[in-house]
Amino acid sequence: MSPEELVERIKSLLGEFVKDVKIWKNDYIEVEVDKENIEEVAKRMKEFGFDHVKDLTVVDYMKEGFFRIIYNLGSYDNFELSYYIVGIAYNIPRDKPVTKTLYYTYTSADFQEREAYEAFGIIFEGHPDLRPVLLSPPVAELKPLRKDFVVKEDPEIITKKK
Amino acid sequence: MMIMDGNGNGEGKVYVGNINVSARKARKLLMSDLKLGKLVDWGTAFSLWPIHLTTSCCGCEFAAAWSPRYDNEQHGALPWIGPRQTNLIIIEGTVTKKMACAVRIVWEQMPQPKFAIAMGACALDGGIFYNSYNIVRPWQIVPVDVYIPGCPPRPESVAKSIIMLQKKIREKQVASKFIEEGWRPDKEYVIPKEDLCSWWRG
Repeated sequence: MSPEELVERIKSLLGEFVKDVKIWKNDYIEVEVDKENIEEVAKRMKEFGFDHVKDLTVVDYMKEGFFRIIYNLGSYDNFELSYYIVGIAYNIPRDKPVTKTLYYTYTSADFQEREAYEAFGIIFEGHPDLRPVLLSPPVAELKPLRKDFVVKEDPEIITKKK
Repeated sequence: MMIMDGNGNGEGKVYVGNINVSARKARKLLMSDLKLGKLVDWGTAFSLWPIHLTTSCCGCEFAAAWSPRYDNEQHGALPWIGPRQTNLIIIEGTVTKKMACAVRIVWEQMPQPKFAIAMGACALDGGIFYNSYNIVRPWQIVPVDVYIPGCPPRPESVAKSIIMLQKKIREKQVASKFIEEGWRPDKEYVIPKEDLCSWWRG
């Protein structure tokens, strides 16, 4: 299956949900959808053959005022589809970062959503266990991967006590 | 036991000495007259048992330092699992804020006199994570005796640090002074300024 054929099949599968499709490097396809349709899109993609979430990426567009959330889907079972990674991308407003969870469609999105929660403060509605994975709660409250989090630039210098 | 005083009044009576006076005399006898402190320092220097607490990637070099090739056990150091049976903590690399809580709890569990070695560039001043939001420096949570630079340090430098610590213990008489005075006079005790463990159990 060539990437162009896969794009045609995804377009016919998702229909009017698709806003934009891009092909990157012959094996990565980015499909942009709306925030409201994400659960229906995920269900259809799972029935199509993409059976797990490889990765969840969040990009902070601070000036434009939105977060772009990308679920990278892959396939284990379908040999033809396993060559491709399909990214389902959608934007949410930055001042109200609330979206729906895909936990009940893709169980492998569980920890990825928790990481997005701790690093960006995005709240996934309906997630059964939304707490920080790697960071301790006081650090997670700072939302350290947002663009407006100020990173200290100067190194600390140890001086000998006199 | 029959003890008589100078006037012969204690005849036929048994006297038990003051236990505090006896202990003080015994300590003076052992530490000053017999120089037992040297024995204590010698014994402590050759039984530095580091706790197995791998905070970061320098733990690989730490493991290699005790492998047959570099054989740090010849210096009398043996990595051990329980903090209550050890007296040395080797902090291997980066300490995240979550791990700093564990480091401090382990440090409090270890019996005195205890020592700390900070290993790797991250343990000195942060290394490549110098401006990270999620690390602490080891000298903010435990009093460090010896620093090992390098990213990562070679196993030989781990062996060198053990020998440096042994020299320090025997020349400054750290262990025997701890027994005499009850704390380590050569090192300030560190109390972390940052609240490390409050997030635990909510």
